[in-house]
Amino acid sequence: MENGEEMELIRELLYNSGEPLSEFYRWLHKAWAGFSVPPVFLDLMIQFAVAAAVFGFVAVNALWIIYYERKFSAKLQIRIGPNRVGPLGLLQTVADTVKLLIKEDINPSKVDRVVFILAPGIVFLGTFLTMLVIPFGNGLIAADLSIGILYILAVSGLAVIGLLAGGWASNNKYSLMGGMRSAAQIVAYEIPVLVVILGIVMLAGTMKMGGIVEAQAGYRWFVIYQPIAFLIFLIAANAEINRAPFDLPEAESELVSGFITEYSGMKFAFFFLAEYTNLFIVSAVAVTLFLGGWEGPFFPPFVWFIIKTYAVVTVLMWMRWTFPRIRVDHLMQFSWKYLLPIALVNLLVTAIVIKFI
Amino acid sequence: MEQKTAFEIQELTSDEYVLSMGPQHPATHGVLRILLRMDGEVVVNLQPDPGYIHSSIEKICENRKYDQVMPYTDRMDYLSAVSYNLAYALAVEKLMGLEVPNRGRHIRVILAEMNRIMSHLLWFAAYGIDMGALTPIWYAFRERENLITLIEMQTGNRLTHHALRIGGVKNDLPTGFVEGLNKFLENFNDMVDEYEALFIDNVIFKARTKSIGVLKKENAISYGVTGPNLRASGCDIDLRKLAPYSGYENFSFEVCSEKNGDSWDRCKIRMNEMRQSASILRQAIDTLPEGEISAKAPKIIKPTPGGCYAKVEGPRGEVGAYVVSAGTDKPYRVKFRSPSFSNLSALNEMCAGVKIADLVAIMGSLDIVIPEIDR
Amino acid sequence: MFKYAADIIKGVLSLCEGLGVTLKHFFRKPFTLRYPDVRPEIPLRFRGRLVLPVDPDKGAHRCTACMMCVKACPNRSIEIEKETGEDGKPKPRAAKYYYNLGTCIFCNMCVESCPFAAIVMSDEYELAVYDRETLMQELTAENLRLDGAKGAWWKSKFREETAAGKGEASNG
Repeated sequence: MENGEEMELIRELLYNSGEPLSEFYRWLHKAWAGFSVPPVFLDLMIQFAVAAAVFGFVAVNALWIIYYERKFSAKLQIRIGPNRVGPLGLLQTVADTVKLLIKEDINPSKVDRVVFILAPGIVFLGTFLTMLVIPFGNGLIAADLSIGILYILAVSGLAVIGLLAGGWASNNKYSLMGGMRSAAQIVAYEIPVLVVILGIVMLAGTMKMGGIVEAQAGYRWFVIYQPIAFLIFLIAANAEINRAPFDLPEAESELVSGFITEYSGMKFAFFFLAEYTNLFIVSAVAVTLFLGGWEGPFFPPFVWFIIKTYAVVTVLMWMRWTFPRIRVDHLMQFSWKYLLPIALVNLLVTAIVIKFI
Repeated sequence: MEQKTAFEIQELTSDEYVLSMGPQHPATHGVLRILLRMDGEVVVNLQPDPGYIHSSIEKICENRKYDQVMPYTDRMDYLSAVSYNLAYALAVEKLMGLEVPNRGRHIRVILAEMNRIMSHLLWFAAYGIDMGALTPIWYAFRERENLITLIEMQTGNRLTHHALRIGGVKNDLPTGFVEGLNKFLENFNDMVDEYEALFIDNVIFKARTKSIGVLKKENAISYGVTGPNLRASGCDIDLRKLAPYSGYENFSFEVCSEKNGDSWDRCKIRMNEMRQSASILRQAIDTLPEGEISAKAPKIIKPTPGGCYAKVEGPRGEVGAYVVSAGTDKPYRVKFRSPSFSNLSALNEMCAGVKIADLVAIMGSLDIVIPEIDR
Repeated sequence: MFKYAADIIKGVLSLCEGLGVTLKHFFRKPFTLRYPDVRPEIPLRFRGRLVLPVDPDKGAHRCTACMMCVKACPNRSIEIEKETGEDGKPKPRAAKYYYNLGTCIFCNMCVESCPFAAIVMSDEYELAVYDRETLMQELTAENLRLDGAKGAWWKSKFREETAAGKGEASNG
């Protein structure tokens, strides 16, 4: 029956997106052969389409995640939160975005103009590129690189350049301090993250994002084998995306707004977008590495992935709205004296166990 | 560290730079400007630069009748208006030889202690923001809102109450006030415990405040620091015990004091003081006497020539009012002693070689109110 | 080594305590009001804008232009013009009652000083205006009728007073 076939196709698309997608890709190529245009253009177009899809997801997701954070924090703080624009205030972030977009684009007179304008772009670029290797479902990944996790570590480091550039170019002492802090912080916290991920890679035997998820199939999630690593990853990753209690580069009460003090309008929106997308990415990576990725009963993989990711996002938000900000030297001490040694011991134990069992 | 003027602070070595913190800065709680001489993140020296909201209240008072001065005293320390009201009222009453009736004095104590709790709650809320914790403010404001609603019932205004008059208080307690206050006090101590669990006992908070911003006892005394800041340095001076006024001798309460004089001790003292104030309030409600609320003050107040100083223990320290009468219906001179001014002057002593984050933590723990400094 | 581990455990415990407090509040009801829709209850003694209400018994305001409020005001926010009769002499009645909202500090001294309970501070608290001229208000022209709890409270003051024959109104 045709209906049954359709259902089958939809099921296939939902649960095992890799095969149908590549089928569709081959079909496109076949159709393209009819025209006398080199297939390179088709690939380019497909790549653009994928990038646009990812960008669309980033934007919509950021809108939603900001709304979610505002509602969640309001609940923690026994207040109501946004409730004016749209039903339940759902369109509040949309309205805020529109406001930011139509605001005057201010370039203070003494800024280093080129760097000042480039900085938000660089920060956003780092975030956006990371998004390409997040496995949303079985085969639902923009580019399943064989060095996926290494790629994430490498590309997310780009953001530092943007933050530092923004802080420097603003020509403001507070901004510069914020930029310097963020550089020191991200470098310090990259290392525990790396060590922790190394343990996971050893367990999974691959650096491919899809491969890591497949290695956890059958509910053998790595969080069971590596609970300490999971905690370290959450803390260090939280620090890497500059969220409270590690929001030192912005540190409102100390540095006014840190590296974004002089930014407004569209450029500020890009920083903001990057920040909240980073929150999503960190949670997504945590889910991929530790919580079995898209695996789960009843619902399609994509749904499970989003549910798990938002669970991690919620925990991070909960931490953010509870704790006071850490001091800059304590931050460094915490990384070098606590996180890194524990992560190294964890790695060593993992290696020994893998070797002998 | 020797005190440097704003001019001297500009003479820098090659590693140093000047950072102007304020008058628009989230951590200065208003329009205070602080010139910082910085070495990287470390504060080398600093110079507070107050005066941005000088409102000339002392001069205004010279052109107002004695009873007209009262609403202006509300506006110096808008977080606990009653303490300035009380200091001024006590001074004028002493000049005139007026005796406030028992019930009036009781109501004054109730209002003053409510103001103390309100002020400390606001300090707690603002300190949370200073330290980057954005949740304490909501919990503290919930309790504060209850108190403000009660005071609004009693006086008609939320912050600048104008609650006291020379000779007593304006209004008797309205119906429902005592019940409302009882209901508030019922679970207030639990709330304070909750605040401590959320914020004061937090490991990050402790790391940021313990043995930071130490103010030694001798320094505290020589700078004229008073109130919780002095008591944190191991000097248990409380004017409510030492020189009781307005019937404070009839209440039993403890003077909270700590030894180290660091930021954490100052916080702990304020938390404990809230509990003590709650206990005073309970006693005050239970022993509320009947009778007049205000002495019969003449319509036109003309004290005999002479001067008089009255001091009360405000939430921030010793609040004093010195009133000089020339025998006319207007005061010849009114001088207010504001605790925040003295407390701020000790800031440089505490901030030698701390980080900029610590500076914010120390300044928050001093609980300064800018209009009170500038007056 | 032992201290190292103890430090970590103690720290984590204190953090969990804080998380517990916020979690407890997650399930509590919000305490804020949806302000413009839901309005707070205004107590009887609230001091809002000064008004010169119309006495329903007389059909006009109660001001006799005795200037007590003008004298009582700490920063001269009130000015009164007396009515002039046909003979050109001023009558004990306010023709114009100017009230400067911009300088008023809501201290209630004028209301306390008024021997005839002519003026009262109303419940109005949304007092922001777009230009300064609006701040200077002429209260007799308003012909405001004070209703509700505040109105009843206000009326009880002078009705009681006329019944008891007291010389001075008890404002509060």
